[in-house]
Amino acid sequence: MAPPLQSSGSPPNYFSNCTHCGFCLAVCPTYKLTGDENNSPRGRLRLWSEEAAGRLPQDEWTDFYTAECVGCLACETACPATVPYGEIFERIRHEHVASHRFTPKLQLRLAAVAVAHPALFNLALLPARLLRRVGLKVHRFLFPGSPPLLKSTAAYADELMLRHRPTGPRVAFLTGCLMEAMFREINFATVRVLIENNVQVIIPEGQGCCGAFQEHTGLDGVETLRERNRRAFGPLEVDAIVSNSSGCGYALGKTLQPDKPVRDVLGFLGELGPVRRQRACDDGTRVYVDLPCHLVHGQKAASIPAKVLDATGYRWELAPKAKDCCGSGGVYNIQKPENAQQILAEKSAFLNEAEGAPVILGTSNHVCMMQWHSAGATGLVTRPYEVSHIIQLLDPGEKFSIPSTSPQP
Amino acid sequence: MKSSLEHQLKALLPRGRVLISAAQLAGYGADGLGYKNHLPDAVVIPADAQELAGFMKGAKALEVPVVMRGAGTSLSGGPVAVQGGVIVHTSALKKIREINTEGFWCEVECGVTLNDLDATLKPHGVFYPPDPSSGPVCTLGGNVASNAGGAHCFRYGVTSNYVLGVEAVMLDGSVHCFGGPAGGRGPWREDWKRFMIGSEGTLAAFTRFWLRLLPLPEKVWTFRATYPDLKTTEAAIHALVAHSSYPAAIEMLDPRGVAMVESSQMACGLPEGSFMLLVEIDGPEALVNARVPSVVELLRRAGSNDVMFSDEEALRQKLWKARKAAGGLLGQLSPAYVVQDAVIPKRALAEVLQLVYDEADAANIRAVNVFHAGDGNLHPNFLFDSRVPGELEKVELISKRLMQRVIEVGGTLSGEHGIGDDKSAYMPLVFGPDSMRLQLSVPAAFNPAHQMNPLKVFENRHFIT
Ligand SMILES: Cc1cc2nc3c(=O)[nH]c(=O)nc-3n(C[C@H](O)[C@H](O)[C@H](O)COP(=O)(O)OP(=O)(O)OC[C@H]3O[C@@H](n4cnc5c(N)ncnc54)[C@H](O)[C@@H]3O)c2cc1C
Ligand code: SF4
Ligand code: SF4
Repeated sequence: MAPPLQSSGSPPNYFSNCTHCGFCLAVCPTYKLTGDENNSPRGRLRLWSEEAAGRLPQDEWTDFYTAECVGCLACETACPATVPYGEIFERIRHEHVASHRFTPKLQLRLAAVAVAHPALFNLALLPARLLRRVGLKVHRFLFPGSPPLLKSTAAYADELMLRHRPTGPRVAFLTGCLMEAMFREINFATVRVLIENNVQVIIPEGQGCCGAFQEHTGLDGVETLRERNRRAFGPLEVDAIVSNSSGCGYALGKTLQPDKPVRDVLGFLGELGPVRRQRACDDGTRVYVDLPCHLVHGQKAASIPAKVLDATGYRWELAPKAKDCCGSGGVYNIQKPENAQQILAEKSAFLNEAEGAPVILGTSNHVCMMQWHSAGATGLVTRPYEVSHIIQLLDPGEKFSIPSTSPQP
Repeated sequence: MKSSLEHQLKALLPRGRVLISAAQLAGYGADGLGYKNHLPDAVVIPADAQELAGFMKGAKALEVPVVMRGAGTSLSGGPVAVQGGVIVHTSALKKIREINTEGFWCEVECGVTLNDLDATLKPHGVFYPPDPSSGPVCTLGGNVASNAGGAHCFRYGVTSNYVLGVEAVMLDGSVHCFGGPAGGRGPWREDWKRFMIGSEGTLAAFTRFWLRLLPLPEKVWTFRATYPDLKTTEAAIHALVAHSSYPAAIEMLDPRGVAMVESSQMACGLPEGSFMLLVEIDGPEALVNARVPSVVELLRRAGSNDVMFSDEEALRQKLWKARKAAGGLLGQLSPAYVVQDAVIPKRALAEVLQLVYDEADAANIRAVNVFHAGDGNLHPNFLFDSRVPGELEKVELISKRLMQRVIEVGGTLSGEHGIGDDKSAYMPLVFGPDSMRLQLSVPAAFNPAHQMNPLKVFENRHFIT
């Protein structure tokens, strides 16, 4: 009789099933940048497992290579042996921070405290919203926009729900911390697009930051944040919980799935077949779509649905190497700005020559938007271009009504 | 000693990187055989070919072994510093320097990955045929040094058929071109590039290659058939090999491989206990289309009532799925495995496979066979747990018995993975003392002290200072 084809009875290995095949090297931004195997997924896994096995003493280079990881998770997609790199990395990073082998930058530590208190955070960033509204260029990451200053997304959604009374699927919307405090106009646009597509939008009270910020920095407190969202979203009877930022959606998914369906708002709209925007036939706009890592490698979505991109009414195409990291990596562009800038330099070079007037770089994660905006601010891209969330390209504006052909419950 | 080595290396590589701390060496302890670990004394990453040449010039005086490394996907211990020394990682030499669509050749640096080359060639309507499954990451330097093969090499031939020229740097820093864009001998009396191809880093450091290209085939059809037993599978293979459709690829997955795929998330409805054959034909559209019915007929007549085929990209990828998934799935079963690479005459297939099963079952070791059936290139994978004492030894014993039988039936050690240090002990099984002596004299001619990749290919090939 042949032995059974199952893992043998020995204890599970924390570093799990890495066969050392090396398929993950080719997709890793830090390996591509440095050509140093230690700075690759296979290399990092090796360093951690050698240290765990007692064959490698704690070494500042291990700390260095750990901190170099962007957390883009491209290696998970590339891995034929389904090594849960993200999970392992998160745990190691947390251990390194807890044992002072690595200290996140001060501004990140302060921000981590702030995002845990949404009301405070919203208030603290009021001046930033104001600056964005008046169009002052204060920081390379701050893309222009006009966030509402005082009205919350929750209040706005209530208002529109009463006005339009959609009858389609019910969704609970994660408004996020930075999205609400800084880029609220994108939340407002999301509410409009959902309601125009006859979706009932609920914004649960008591929700808070998804925990991604803590995960990215390795700081404590993830579990508290997750617990808060479990309480806020857990009891709801909805068709889906949606997020308009792929990183937040990924983190919330880890908190609520598989019990609750957490969806990226664009993927959700793709299934409905969203209302299409009409553009002038001589419109020269070209949209280049970049796919956030936490959408394709984290949430494992194939792409942003073509139906959604078509519905923007613009001519669009995927940006070159759309599934490669842009360098934003949650907080990576703050923690490791030089690396992030080099990764972006390669990704963004095409914009200088790209066809279209105007040119829009469209994506679905606010942190990637910040990173892409910085390409202009730092001179990597010298021609004018706009950065936009894809949901904004579907935005009907303040005056809209639900088409009678909308999907019914 | 370490600091003086570091000092010397930094002087040799003013622009590249020098890695020397324990945690900088740890990432370089192994290749695709992750369970074997040998740490180098240092790693260098030259910034470009010029710096690599400069390093080679000074390397002799370092008096330590020099080990070349591309992507480190070798499955035979090739790019690992078994006797310590300096690993030269070619990751920065990744320029595709020219694509010549008139002469059908390209010029690439040794660190270019196969997939990057494929992607760059595609818009030009040309391709480079050798296709090892490690394509997403392996480098041309590694391919040439191990004379890599792949699924489509049944028809197209292995790497050596496509190398027109090799630029190689010797340990004295001299740079030589063997062949060139026009192929052949280049500036040498004889075609010495054949010494270089498959030399596994034991002769010289390759910096660039001129490679032959072919026009992309107009049309490709993929077939997948399953068979109830080995007898019918063999009948199909024999018929295919002799068939006028001249298949490009004939791949096989045995029932244990099928069971592995079917019990995973990659399941694709293969019947339990079946052998799976995957066949591809390509060429001018009208010609290939006309051949499809006869291939289907052949596969059915050999004994399959489950033949699927398609010329649509998405469907073709689906048919390939089970074959492509196999390698990764091994990892989900067991992180450590030894893969053998024997080539056998096709008539001995049934017998050798049975030996693999009998030996593995008797030792309670899991074995999965995924291989290039057209070439008779067997890849039995023996799965084991490196933390369980004695398991590796069992696998090594089975491998040895297998190799002995392979030789007896007229086969050979390695089809494409190279000998490295993993299979060097089997060399005397295949080659007599005279042949061994002559073969060993080749690396000795290029580096008499065996400073380049010592303890590889030949078991006792030590570097002696
Ligand atoms: C999942 C998987 C599937 C595989 N499938 C196949 C397959 O189908 N067919 C096949 O043939 N192989 C296969 N292999 C084995 C391996 O990928 C090949 O041998 C490949 O050619 C190695 O390339 P590399 O860049 O990783 O080289 P490395 O592993 O880094 O090195 C391989 C050898 O080449 C030498 N070398 C590397 N670069 C140079 C240089 N510039 N100059 C001189 N010597 C050099 C090294 O010293 C070493 O001896 C597979 C491996 C894996 C992990
Ligand atoms: S791709 Fe997966 S199995 Fe292969 S080396 Fe990377 S992590 Fe390990
Ligand atoms: S998460 Fe991204 S940066 Fe980190 S190891 Fe994986 S591929 Fe590399």
